[in-house]
Amino acid sequence: MIADDRKARLLEAMKETGLDVLMVYGNAWQGDYLRYATNFGIIEGQALALVRNDGHVTLYLDSPLEVDRAALDCPGVEIVHAPDLVGEVDQALNRLRNQRFGAAPQRLIPRRIAARAKDINLTDQTAFVDRLLMGKLDSEVAAVRKAAKLADDGYRVFMQAARPGRADYELIAECEAFFRANGVDDNFQIIGVGGVEVKGMAPPGGKKLKRGDMVTTELTPCVDGYYAQICRTLVVGETTPEQRGAHALWRESMEAGIAAVRDGVIAADIAKAENDVFRKHGMGKYTTSEFTRVRGHGMGLFADTKPHLLENVTTRIDAGMTLIVHPNTYHPAVGYMVLGDAVVVTKTGCDVLTGTPRELFSVSA
Amino acid sequence: MRRGLMEWNPDELPIGALESRIARLRAAMKDAGFDAFVVYTNLVRPSAVAWLTGFTPYWSEALLLVPRDGKLVFATALSNRVADWIRSTNPVSEVTSTPKPGTLIGERLAKDALVKRVGVLEWDTLPSELADNLAAAAPAVEWADGSALFASLRRGVDEPERRMLARADKLAVAALVESNARDAGTLVGLIEQHARLGGAEEAYIHVAPDLVADRRLLRTSQSIPLAERFAVRASVAYKGSWVRRTRTFAADGSTAIADTWFGDIMRAIEAGKPLGAQIQSAIKKLSGAQLVSWMAESCVGSYPLQAVASSRVPGKDVISDGQFLVLTVELTVDGNPWIGAAPLIVGNRVSEARQPLRHSGARRRREPGIQMHTPSPCLDSGPRATRGPGMTAESLKCAVLRSTGCHASCWARTALRA
Repeated sequence: MIADDRKARLLEAMKETGLDVLMVYGNAWQGDYLRYATNFGIIEGQALALVRNDGHVTLYLDSPLEVDRAALDCPGVEIVHAPDLVGEVDQALNRLRNQRFGAAPQRLIPRRIAARAKDINLTDQTAFVDRLLMGKLDSEVAAVRKAAKLADDGYRVFMQAARPGRADYELIAECEAFFRANGVDDNFQIIGVGGVEVKGMAPPGGKKLKRGDMVTTELTPCVDGYYAQICRTLVVGETTPEQRGAHALWRESMEAGIAAVRDGVIAADIAKAENDVFRKHGMGKYTTSEFTRVRGHGMGLFADTKPHLLENVTTRIDAGMTLIVHPNTYHPAVGYMVLGDAVVVTKTGCDVLTGTPRELFSVSA
Repeated sequence: MRRGLMEWNPDELPIGALESRIARLRAAMKDAGFDAFVVYTNLVRPSAVAWLTGFTPYWSEALLLVPRDGKLVFATALSNRVADWIRSTNPVSEVTSTPKPGTLIGERLAKDALVKRVGVLEWDTLPSELADNLAAAAPAVEWADGSALFASLRRGVDEPERRMLARADKLAVAALVESNARDAGTLVGLIEQHARLGGAEEAYIHVAPDLVADRRLLRTSQSIPLAERFAVRASVAYKGSWVRRTRTFAADGSTAIADTWFGDIMRAIEAGKPLGAQIQSAIKKLSGAQLVSWMAESCVGSYPLQAVASSRVPGKDVISDGQFLVLTVELTVDGNPWIGAAPLIVGNRVSEARQPLRHSGARRRREPGIQMHTPSPCLDSGPRATRGPGMTAESLKCAVLRSTGCHASCWARTALRA
C-alpha cells in the first residue's frame, strides 16, 4: 500500500531528524503535506494532522462531510470533527508540551497556532517534508506513471471535444467526465484559446473556439493522489507556417531540457538547456518572467510541486523524482504556446512517461 | 482547482450590487470602529471575496483590502500574466500581483496615518505567513477579528445572489437527473459532465453506492457497482454561489414518499423558530420514519457552505428570515435509509405551482414559465432546465429505461419534455 510505504518513510525520517510530533496542514489547494501524512485527499474545509513518532496519527477536520469521508478513506487514522479547528488543535498541543515539534507547510499554519511557536517549541519543518515529497518511492512513481497514461488518454478526449463553436469550458467538461469514469479523482487544467492576444492560460471564461484559434492546455490528472501533467497545443483548422515554426522551436527546447535531466544535475541545468535553445534563436526575451513562470516543475501529490525548473533554482535532481519539462511561453507571431512531457529521473537520464506525439495538432474546422 | 466556467457577467452581477455590498460592509466597519477590513481568499475559502468583488481564484491565494473609502485593493500571489484575467472577473478592485500579498496590504495600511484598527475576517485561521507579513509591514495597527461583523451582513441574500444560487441549483437539479450508469465512477462522470457543460464553476459529486450497507458518501472515480439503493450528492457552484443537492435512488421507487415529505418540509420551514424542533415535528407526518440526523449549512464567511446548525450540535438553531440554507436530512423509512438535501431561502415562499413532484404517474401542474422539475422546491423561479449540451436524448432514454424506479424516470421525462 502506497500510504503504508509513505508512513513508514515519514516515521523513519522523523526518527532521523529527532522529531517527536509533526503537524501538517492541508486544504484542497495545498493538500500534499496532509495527504503524505494521512492519505486523506481533502476537498472541503481545512485540516490539521498530528503525526506522532510512535505512528499515531490524528486528523482534525472542520467539515462534517469530510469527517465521514476520512473515516472511509483513512483506516488507522484517528479522525476528529473539529468545527473550531484552531481551538481543538490548540488544546491538543497543550497536551503535547515538552516535545520536539515540527510543522509543515509553516506558511499556511493558522496564525493563532503559529503564534505559539516559541511556547510549544514549534519549528518549521517544511523543507524536511519537501524532501520526502520530491523524492518518490517506487509505489509513488507507479502512481505517477498511471496518471501520465491517463493524461495521454485525456488529451485525446480534449482533442475530440475541440471544434468550432464549442466553449472552452465544454472541452474541460468532457475531460472531467472521462476522468471521473476512469479512476481520476482530480485534475488541474488551464486553457488558452485564440492567437497573438493570448499571453497565457487561465480557467475557461466561455470563449468559443473558431477556425484559426490555437488552443493550449495543461492537463494534469490525479491517480491515488498523484498528479501527472501533459502540455500540448492544437490549432482549429490548418496550422500556419508561423505556428509550425514556433512549435519546432518549442520541441527543440523541450527535448534539450529532457536530455539534460539525470541524477545529480540541478534544476537550473534543465531550465538553462531549454532556455539556451530560445536564446540561440534570438528568443531569449521570452524565457523571462514577463512571459513565462517556470520551465517545468515537479509532479506528485501537488500538481505544481517543487522543484521549479528555473535558472536560479539550485535544487539537486535525484533519481526517482518526477518532473514535467515544459518551455511554455509567448511567441510574438502566434501567441502563447505550450509543449511539455512528464519524466521520471533515473541514474543515467530519465524515462519519458508521456506517450502523446510531440506534435502541433490540427483539428477539423 | 477550479476549472469550470469563471467569468464576470455584469448582467448577472451588476457593479451596483457589488458597490452596495461594499457600502454595507463599510457601514458595519464604522459601527465596529474598524478603519479598514481585510479578507483572505483561496479556492477553498473564496466566498467572502467573491461576495464583495465577484472574483474567485482558480489557484493560489490573495488578500483583499477594503479601506474606509476609495477603491478596494486586491493583492494576489497569482502570476502577473493572469492579471488581465483577474481584472476581467474582479471589476471593483485595484489588482496587484505580488509574491507577498501580506506585505503589500500591510504597507498600504501603514501609509494611512488614520488607520489604527483593522478588522480581519477569520483572523485566527489566516495563514501565518500572510499574518506575519501584514503585522511586520504595519506594526502600529491593532488587528481584530471581524468574522461576526461579516456574518451579520450575510444573513440575507440580495437579488443577484438569489439569481446565482438559483442558477447553481438548476444545474444541480438537472445534473442529478443522470442515473444511467451501473457503477459509481461512470455516474459521477455523467453528473459532473452535465453540471460543467451547463456552466458550473465547480462540481463535487459524492456517492454512497450501497446506501443500505453504508450511508457515508464518498468521492470516487472507481467502477464500484451501484446497489438497488444508492445516494448521490452534488455540490455545485455557479460563479461563486454554491448549493448542494442530495438524492436517494431506489430500484423499487420507494424513495418517492420521503422525497415528497422533504419537499413539504422545505416549504414549511419558518424563520424565528428552532430548526431542529421543526424537523422533529415534521417527521411525525412521515409514517415509518425515524430521523437519523440533520444539518443546515449556509455561507457566512469565507467558506462556500459551512454547518450553522445540526443535530450533532444542539441549540443555536433559530434561523433568520431571508437566510440562505442548505438543509440535509437523513432518515430511515420503514427501515430503509434515505438522504435528501436541498437549498432554500427561509421565508422565500414558492409559487403554488411548485408542488412536489407527485409520484405514481400524476400529471404535474404547469403555469406559464414555471414548471416543476424536482421533488423539492428549488430556488429557481425562471424558465426550466433544458437538456445540457452533453446530455443526449439517447442517454436520457436509457435513464428512463433503467430500473432505478419510476421516480428517477419522472425526473428524466421532465427533462426530455423541457
